[in-house]
Amino acid sequence: MTRVLSLVWLALVVLAVVYLTVRIHDGLPLRTDLLALLPREEQDPTLQRANDAVSRALARRLVVLVGHSSAQDARAAAVRLTDDLMATGLMDAVAEGFDGERLKRLGSLYFPYRRGLLAEADRALLAAGQGEEVATKALAQAFGVGGIADGNLLRADPFLLLPSFLAALPLPLSRLRLEDGALTVTDGSMTWVLVLTSLRGEPFALDVQERLLAAFKSSSIALEAAHPGLQIKRLGAVFFAEAGSRTATSEASMLATASLAGTILLIVVVFRRVRPLLLNLLVVGVGIGTALAGSLIVFGELHVAALLFGTSLIGVSVDYGLYYTCSAFDPAGGTPRERLRRVMPGIVLGLLTTLLGYGALALAPFPGLRQIAVFSIIGLLAAFATVALWLPALDAVGQARHVDGLLSAARRMFAFWETPNWRRTRLLLLIAAVAIGIAGLLRFQADNDVRRMQALSEELLRDQDDIRRLIGTTAATQFLLVEAPADEAALRREETVSPILARLRAEGVLSGAQMPAAFVPSAERQRENQTLVGTQLEPLLARQRATLGMEGDAVEASVTSIDPLTLSEALASNAVPFLRELVLAPGMHVVALQGLTAPESVRAAFDGVAGVRLVDPTADFSALLDKYQRRALELTGLSALLMLGALALRYGWKGAAWVMLPSAIAISVAPMALVLAGQVFTFFHAMAVVLLLSITSDYAIFCAESSTDRRSVTLVAVWMAALTTLLSFGLLALSRVPAVHYFGSTMLIGILLAFCTAPLASRGRRKLNVPPDSDLLAKQERTSTRVA
Amino acid sequence: MMIRSPLFLLIGALAVAHVVALPTSAAPAVDVTPMAQGQILRGRFQQQRFLQGFQGPLKSSGTFVLSPGLGLIWQTESPFALTTIMSPAGLVQEVAGRETMRMPSARIPFMSKLYAMLGGALTGDWDALSNAFNITRKGEGKSWRLRLEPKRADDPAMPIRAMDLHGSRFLEDVDVIKPNGDHDRIVFLSQKLESASPTPEEARLLAKAGQL
Repeated sequence: MTRVLSLVWLALVVLAVVYLTVRIHDGLPLRTDLLALLPREEQDPTLQRANDAVSRALARRLVVLVGHSSAQDARAAAVRLTDDLMATGLMDAVAEGFDGERLKRLGSLYFPYRRGLLAEADRALLAAGQGEEVATKALAQAFGVGGIADGNLLRADPFLLLPSFLAALPLPLSRLRLEDGALTVTDGSMTWVLVLTSLRGEPFALDVQERLLAAFKSSSIALEAAHPGLQIKRLGAVFFAEAGSRTATSEASMLATASLAGTILLIVVVFRRVRPLLLNLLVVGVGIGTALAGSLIVFGELHVAALLFGTSLIGVSVDYGLYYTCSAFDPAGGTPRERLRRVMPGIVLGLLTTLLGYGALALAPFPGLRQIAVFSIIGLLAAFATVALWLPALDAVGQARHVDGLLSAARRMFAFWETPNWRRTRLLLLIAAVAIGIAGLLRFQADNDVRRMQALSEELLRDQDDIRRLIGTTAATQFLLVEAPADEAALRREETVSPILARLRAEGVLSGAQMPAAFVPSAERQRENQTLVGTQLEPLLARQRATLGMEGDAVEASVTSIDPLTLSEALASNAVPFLRELVLAPGMHVVALQGLTAPESVRAAFDGVAGVRLVDPTADFSALLDKYQRRALELTGLSALLMLGALALRYGWKGAAWVMLPSAIAISVAPMALVLAGQVFTFFHAMAVVLLLSITSDYAIFCAESSTDRRSVTLVAVWMAALTTLLSFGLLALSRVPAVHYFGSTMLIGILLAFCTAPLASRGRRKLNVPPDSDLLAKQERTSTRVA
Repeated sequence: MMIRSPLFLLIGALAVAHVVALPTSAAPAVDVTPMAQGQILRGRFQQQRFLQGFQGPLKSSGTFVLSPGLGLIWQTESPFALTTIMSPAGLVQEVAGRETMRMPSARIPFMSKLYAMLGGALTGDWDALSNAFNITRKGEGKSWRLRLEPKRADDPAMPIRAMDLHGSRFLEDVDVIKPNGDHDRIVFLSQKLESASPTPEEARLLAKAGQL
């Protein structure tokens, strides 16, 4: 039976390896974006869609400033860089400036509708009955220098209302000016030329990052060589993402190597043989390989973060193998199968409780967490099957006697937790643990500000600041979302809130804002404007024309539309480049904000304004992490209760409580100790707590399931398991990414605590009514059959 | 924006006209009174703006003050009082002390370029203008005639087709021809160089345009 199952398992593993080889050959579909880790916000798909659209548009944008003391060099380098970037086929050029061609298109879009288009200042003058002022202004421009002196325009628009409207359009990038077709800003002796491009594809896809960055790097190196003194500053999500994933992948491989090397060293030193090492490597290898293949089948792709946490699985999946291989130290000896039978109850129970823990993890609606959970569950099941089906067959018969030192250390550890003369110390330690818990709770502070959880590249942050300073304004990640049943209603809504924005601008809360209504006023507003022009300016027309010396009745019936300009026509004309980004769907508009200094003031200002709200993706993400941090802690509580119930079936309630005690200590003291040390509790601490529960309960169960005469051997196995876990999860404490560091340090302390307190669990065994070695054998056979 | 003003070219021309010895061989020699650092140029002007489809030209006249580095004040007296001030930072227009227009140079791409040319020309850097224009000299003797044509005729930011300058000691008249057939003719009279600072009122106006 076991033989057949072993072969079936072998076939499955071979299939997984083949599948994996094919997928890796095609290029592993790894994702690196934070967005992919976000839970879908079921409760507000509208907001999610707006968020996606705006964040993606922003994330795609690349802002590069090319600076040189010679304007000509700067311009030549900028042109070259643009060409090089476009040659990758990954980018679209973005024309933010209004060159002649763009102006012409803009002019021909607006021209027929000019009677309905008024600059805010002109509109205010007309509404106040000061039509004369508007007329004088136009005359000043016609007669003075520097005004609009185009005869055709003047004939069609004697009050020059259209140029006034055009001049008042809220265009971003205010400090830049167009020189020889290049947007330029001078700062001291340096001339900076803007290169604005937009990524066609996904900014967080690894291959896009690599190709773009390679092109960017080789282009800038060549340009710096060609123009000595050239400076290039860059800003864009793709740069941050690339730097981030570079750190993440190099860290992941560094940590994985350290973890693997440490684990190998540990096993070789303790066993003084190679075979246990090979057996454990086999368990880990099969675990990770199957987990990777299985996750790819389930999800189609994997997130780098899931892989990072997933590879740390080495530490967990090796537990079962270690528990088995440590049975070689058992003084009672026995054949490999006999030894497997003895450790099987512990492994099965450990697996079941761990699966409970990971199952709870999969309940959190974070796609990334689901990936980690599925990765871990598959890996653990595979490791279990490998231990149960293959290891005894591959193991050489033999008993090891060289670990007497370790075994006596284990005995002393049991003595510490059990003999009466250490009672006082034990109490003191318990009081200390409780004190740490309470003190931590008093200082407890949770904060999930994502900006503090990422390790952003210093160099890129400097470039970002420089670019902000040089071009004067940058798009805020926050925006206003305007929702209405249709475009017209949305435009009207924007017109009603426009004074609020003007006030905020005057208060310095923001430097600029672009709303669709500024480019296409609502039909209602356009009709109002037509009426204003009719009543206030029409009476002045004859005089204006006479003053200008225009021929009597050459009134151009040319291109004048009575109907108002519609948003869809403006969008179709493509004359206003960023209008498309502001209109997400009919009735769903975005008001882009620049130079936002106090998002809270904006939020407050629009509080209670129907259909308009501030969307702050970063703050929303932090709020979401808050929510799921609570969820994770609740899940931990839930799985602890489930585990307690499951264990109570075997050990009784009191015994189950003893078995859970080491885990309880680990998950409560570890985070509180970190809080006391000054860390702010985050979602990532909470995630570590979830994992700690599953892992530490394994140790306790191994101890509880071990008969008194073999328990020192078991404790040695637990130590080995704990050390390997420290080598994997604990090493994450070294990460430069704060989020990973939080996770790792929580794991480090928690595992150390469990390492020391595991013997407490064997007290639970005293309540165990079932003789350990009788009916378990039958049970084990059944379980392994089911699992395989 | 829609503003295709010949003014900026005009300033360039005024400035160019005061370049003494033209350093590059590409540039034709023009004998005009040198303008030294700290000097200001005052004079009167008469402008005729010929617009397509209009009965007659729009006529205006007044005075001007050019202060290198600071800007130009163009004081129209007829047909009504109107002040236009230009500086490297932009343009401001006032009617009866009331501001009617304010244009930072960021909004008028061509303007800052011409200011760079203006500065260059005033310090004897002929390259500034000859970079963008082909310059041909006509006429002999003390009186000179220059024709400036954009090198890049297709440049949409170039609002003129050609510019004819004429003068002797000073620039005397300018004809700015625009692509659509409109043209401006400006005659300069009673020009004089002063080694004085602008008056307080002029300084105020220049400062106003300098802070756009």
